Amino acid sequence: MRFGEVFRYEFAHRLRSISTWLYAGFLFLIAFWVIHVAVTGTNPIHVNAPQSLAETTALFCGLFSILVTAGLFSDAAIRDRAAGMDALLFTTRLRPAEYLGGRFLAALAINSILVFAIPIGLALATKMPYLPRDAFGPNHLAAYLQPVLLFLLPNLVLVGAILFTIAALTRQVIPVYLGAIAIFIGYLVAASYWSGITNPMLSALADPLGINALKAMAEYWTASERNTRLIGFPSMLLWNRLLWFAIAAALFGVLQRTFRFTQRNEKVRGSKTVDVPAEGRYSGAVPQLRGVFGSRTRMRQTLAVTRQSLAEAMSGRAFPVAFLAAIGLVLLWGWNMGETIFDTITWPVTHLVAEIVLSERAILIPWLVIALYAGELVWKDRETGAAQIADAAPVRTSVVLLGRFLALVALIALFQLAFMIGGILLQALQGYYDFEPGLYLRILFGWNLVEYVLLAAFAMTVHVLVNHKYVGHVVVLLATVFNSAAEYGIHHLLIYNGGPALKYSEMNGFGPFVTPFVWFKLYWAAWAMLFAVVTMLFWVRGPELGIRQRLATARARLTAQTARMAGLAVVLILAFGGFIFYNTNVLNAYLPPQKAGLPQAEYERRYARYADLPQPVIAGAELRFEIYPEAPAVDMRGSYRLVNQTGVPIRSVHVETPSGRDYEVRSMKFDRASKAELLDPEHGYRIFALERALAPGESMQFSFDVAFRPRGFRHGGWQTKVVRNGSYFDRLLLPFIGYQPGFEVSGDSERKRYGLPPKPSMPGPGDAAARRYWSPFRNGDRMHVETIVGTAADQIAVVPGMLRRSWTENPSTGSGQAPRRYVHYGSRIPETFAASVFSAKYAVAKGKWKDVGLEIFHHPPHRANLDRMMSGMQSSLDYYTSAFGPYPYREFRIVEVPPYSINGRAFPSALALAEQNFITRTGPGVVDLTFFGTAHEVAHQWWGGQVRPAYAKGRGFVSESLANYSAMLVTEKVLGPAEARRVYDFQMNRYLQTRGETGKDVPLLEVDDHPHVSYGKGAVALYTLREHIGAEAVNGALRRFLEKYRGSGPPYPTSLDLYAELRAVTPPSLYPLLTDLFETMTLWDVKTQSAAARRLPDGKYEVTLEVMAQKLRADGIGRETPTPMNDLLEVGIFAPGKDDPIYLARHRIRSGKQTIRIIVPQKPSRAGLDPYRKLIERERGDNLVDVETGAGDRGGV
Amino acid sequence: MTLSIRSLSKTYPNGIRALKGISLDVPPGMFGLLGRNGAGKSTLMRILATLQEPDEGTIHLGELDVIRQKERVRETLGYLPQSFGFHPRVRAERLLDHFAVLKGLVDAGSRREVVEALLRRTNLWDVRNQRVGTFSGGMRQRLGVAIALLGNPKLIIVDEPTAGLDPEERVRFLNLLSEIGEASAVILSTHIVEDVEELCSNLAIIDRGEILLAGAPARVIAEVRGRIWRRSVTREELPALEEEHSVISTKLLAGQTIAHVYAEESPGAGFEPVEPDLKDVYFAVMSGHRGVRAAA
Repeated sequence: MRFGEVFRYEFAHRLRSISTWLYAGFLFLIAFWVIHVAVTGTNPIHVNAPQSLAETTALFCGLFSILVTAGLFSDAAIRDRAAGMDALLFTTRLRPAEYLGGRFLAALAINSILVFAIPIGLALATKMPYLPRDAFGPNHLAAYLQPVLLFLLPNLVLVGAILFTIAALTRQVIPVYLGAIAIFIGYLVAASYWSGITNPMLSALADPLGINALKAMAEYWTASERNTRLIGFPSMLLWNRLLWFAIAAALFGVLQRTFRFTQRNEKVRGSKTVDVPAEGRYSGAVPQLRGVFGSRTRMRQTLAVTRQSLAEAMSGRAFPVAFLAAIGLVLLWGWNMGETIFDTITWPVTHLVAEIVLSERAILIPWLVIALYAGELVWKDRETGAAQIADAAPVRTSVVLLGRFLALVALIALFQLAFMIGGILLQALQGYYDFEPGLYLRILFGWNLVEYVLLAAFAMTVHVLVNHKYVGHVVVLLATVFNSAAEYGIHHLLIYNGGPALKYSEMNGFGPFVTPFVWFKLYWAAWAMLFAVVTMLFWVRGPELGIRQRLATARARLTAQTARMAGLAVVLILAFGGFIFYNTNVLNAYLPPQKAGLPQAEYERRYARYADLPQPVIAGAELRFEIYPEAPAVDMRGSYRLVNQTGVPIRSVHVETPSGRDYEVRSMKFDRASKAELLDPEHGYRIFALERALAPGESMQFSFDVAFRPRGFRHGGWQTKVVRNGSYFDRLLLPFIGYQPGFEVSGDSERKRYGLPPKPSMPGPGDAAARRYWSPFRNGDRMHVETIVGTAADQIAVVPGMLRRSWTENPSTGSGQAPRRYVHYGSRIPETFAASVFSAKYAVAKGKWKDVGLEIFHHPPHRANLDRMMSGMQSSLDYYTSAFGPYPYREFRIVEVPPYSINGRAFPSALALAEQNFITRTGPGVVDLTFFGTAHEVAHQWWGGQVRPAYAKGRGFVSESLANYSAMLVTEKVLGPAEARRVYDFQMNRYLQTRGETGKDVPLLEVDDHPHVSYGKGAVALYTLREHIGAEAVNGALRRFLEKYRGSGPPYPTSLDLYAELRAVTPPSLYPLLTDLFETMTLWDVKTQSAAARRLPDGKYEVTLEVMAQKLRADGIGRETPTPMNDLLEVGIFAPGKDDPIYLARHRIRSGKQTIRIIVPQKPSRAGLDPYRKLIERERGDNLVDVETGAGDRGGV
Repeated sequence: MTLSIRSLSKTYPNGIRALKGISLDVPPGMFGLLGRNGAGKSTLMRILATLQEPDEGTIHLGELDVIRQKERVRETLGYLPQSFGFHPRVRAERLLDHFAVLKGLVDAGSRREVVEALLRRTNLWDVRNQRVGTFSGGMRQRLGVAIALLGNPKLIIVDEPTAGLDPEERVRFLNLLSEIGEASAVILSTHIVEDVEELCSNLAIIDRGEILLAGAPARVIAEVRGRIWRRSVTREELPALEEEHSVISTKLLAGQTIAHVYAEESPGAGFEPVEPDLKDVYFAVMSGHRGVRAAA
């Protein structure tokens, strides 16, 4: 049977090909590796939870397997043509259907076998002993098989049908790869716009790869469900698979209809050239010109090879399509780029576009360009047959190699040009015109091009050595993917093209990252040079392909010159590598990520026994900083007034400083005799024994002279405290007194890794002992601090506090040095000892609120949002002083910092904001997060500043929830209730989405480190309370809380104290609501099932609502149990054309189904329970429904 | 300059001995290398064209050691391989110009002259702006010749050039070759005896890696004069004839089989003497009656 014969032939051929098994290896490795990546990060959802496995298999591995499918199916369809066998095949009795069917099914069969490499890879990875066991749950066979059956295999049929059709009809490889890329991209596009389809049936069916349907299915699953529940074979997914199966079959039918055995002349469009007759023979002589050979010729030859290779690569349809596609993809992937940074919407400034869109999201394009075109450039001559002639030409192998390499570089540069065009288009279309072409050039044609050129060198080497085009592609792609292995603690010197990532700051440019980047790239360039030598030795020239011949040829090509170049490369490798090693491992300590906490662990191991030793506290400080931004370095001198506040004499003082080789301790002394008993600079611990013990109540002076002088550069984690422009550092650079539990390793799994016993978890809010501390750092209570800061003359230094004096001075040491600028700040009232210092080339914007001076220290070009910040400060100060209490300072400052460390942080009378906050933009329908953020941070002057919560669970409620709530009040007052509602929605989404994605949740009274709860749910909960009992009541409670605990020392207040105040102003009937909102994790679930209205004789309408309600309490990992509900919920009825409701009142709603009847004065259009979505609900789209109006009585059920 | 080959041997990894100690002298002028498929011609051509390495032996082109000084040889080499192709979308003139640069013609002005002259010479001037993908086989061949002639080569190697050309193209090609052959050493490797007979001043017959016969066409033909006889037989009579006499070739002509027989004297009645041509020499050598394989 002919069909069977075709099938068997293809199947056997594929089994025997090495490339098939390499593809299998590729899929296995991808799956194996993705588990490793997923394990980083702690999540209650297991890495091998059935739903996670399904997503990993279908989405990540599935998309990569499209590449394999492209290779297999294109080969099945094209190989005959390529080998010239098609003429023989197609003139037998073989029919197109048999041929196509046989080939397709064989390729399908092989690919189906290969995809099982994915679950095998995944499963094997979960068994690896070096991965943390607690990231995995039990392995279920079904969890691995179901995604294969449900997604991989059916998608294979669809994708295979598409690609096979393209291959069979075009008979070229490039369109197939373009098709594969189009599918890839099509999936990504569909994913972004898929959520817009509201009809669940349509959306589930419209998804060809089924992945979005899978995500939707599990969207509301909790963590525990995800861990245990198998995805099974839900009916909607099955219908989806069936539909797309049918489409694939239809496609195949189309193919069968249009495919013809006739050979198309696919060489060139247009008719074949007719040969010219013999008349007019040329009888003139050909100039007998001999070639000239020398270095000039070699240059010309190199350029000629480059030019010709480039022209050949760019000819044909593939290149312009790819070029335009690259531009299109930039627009597609970058369109919503501004929305994903720190939850704010920013202008598409050039460095963000270049970094996020062009260097991260669209990275696939340069990789593909390099991988594919490297192969093309190495192979094309052999494929067309031109190599037969070209190999005998008097061109050195090195010239050919260099010429082709330059052509590859030119191609990469062209795609970077496409990126630049795309980026500029993206900016222009979004209304931003400050393109900064110089920055584009630096990033795209500078840093990125260097990286890609190194990658290109590697790719060409692989293709020359491997000598099999498609295997070469696979190897290159694998190597590119594995480059991220550096995250597993392998030194950058060992990963090809490794090195630091560049982070751009508008204030500081590429700053401290440039130096290490350049050195690393020079090192890898030396390697590339060595690769070039190897490539030259093994370049195939002539027909000899056997390994022995190639080795012999390589030996013959090893001339003195070649050996010298190789030798030079080795010398450079050692030189650069040595210099880098000296910096990363000798001058600085090298700590791979798994060992990053080792110094802290050792610190705890040695000194934790001193944790409860009586130690003096700092009661006052005088500090003098000398900042040298260019060095970078900062010298710090100061003295503390230490007081013995314990009841026993203190005989020794333990002094703690930062560990590491960057930190110098020049001197430390007391104003009484002392002896150094223990000096451990490596861990930053020193013990001084006092000759005369410090008696209870006595005080003494401690003076120190220390410096932070970073040397060389590190492997990772570069210091950003002192930089050329935008320095910011704080208390952590100064000595501490006594053992500091704050420096211990946190996180149970991390502690286990270092062999430390688990730390007792943070005490709960009811724990009396917890009220003694407000921080894990023993840093004294509020005190006066005087700070003098000197910095470069063109910079301004700022310290939160009162400016006493500023002046310029010439440094004391030696004349001829540049003058320096000095400031002297002091504390107005006793403050927490924070010692935050900022220094940069600031411009200052000034304003005023009553007698408070407002200043914004900003990067000079960042002017766009200053007005909104200023008005945010003014409105907030205005509202808070009238609602809560007075503002204790005469100044308030906003200081801009680079985006390296924090996004925003509040200090007494000051606020630091990272750059991105200065480029946010607003528009209609978009939350004005600049205003809101400013209001939030100002609120911290009260919540967190004047009132400091104890270091216990629930402190996030006291500081962040109150700050967010306060900011909402200001927003509502100044920008209007509609804006406030938008913010409310935003906070609600933040809570629900993060909760759904990570599975983490805690009750508000216990929240510490979950921003989505403290910021998001906190704001929502307090606002809801306000709705019920009124703003005056809530604000009054807050006022009383503030008055009780303002500025107090220990015992510090906890969330329970705040809760008590809130409870005091709440009527007992609402106590259950308080429990729901604050004490527990409660979710509501209300649904308006139907709304019907009938006209009454008096012209009014009676609306009947059928609603369904329930309330669920969740535990730590999201297991939910229903709880009886008896709450007051809003019911709203709306009329057409009116924004405001025609009816809005609270009804008491119980659990379960109920019917509500309401009479309204006019015809209603929409009605529902909780119309403004104020309840904390997962499913919020079912609250409002359209009202069906019937003409009279509606009978029956 | 003379090309001297001494004791050249090459064995492929699968055990096939392509060349077994060949020695040959190629003076300037057209040299024909005659042999059947698999005789070792292409291997020898590729070794001469510096694309392959022999296992043993030496080759000298004048002073140059062809095996060890490949680059110098390539500077004065023109190679037209048996099968080759081009990137289909390149235009003919551009391609020739590109190869001209590769062959060291760096000066743009004179290069342009050479390219134009060669295109006219090979009668491709009118189609110089067409993409080579549209060329017929003969046109491609002529373009290959043009490339091979770039740089005034002293050694031109042409491997099976007329296979696949129609009669007109073949004639044109051979004319072109004969004009070139006056100035340089041209080695023409082929299995078409007529090509060698018409063009070459020297020839060698190669089979299974050995040179069976070498010399000028006129001389080798003269050596078999008077030893080739012809007889017309029917198909049924042929086997008996082959048993009795040394039949070196047979040909069907209008239903009759014409057999050529090698014999020192007339084999008998029915046999006519034949004025031999190179084909007869070839068959006589291949069947072991002349040349190296002949019994002493």
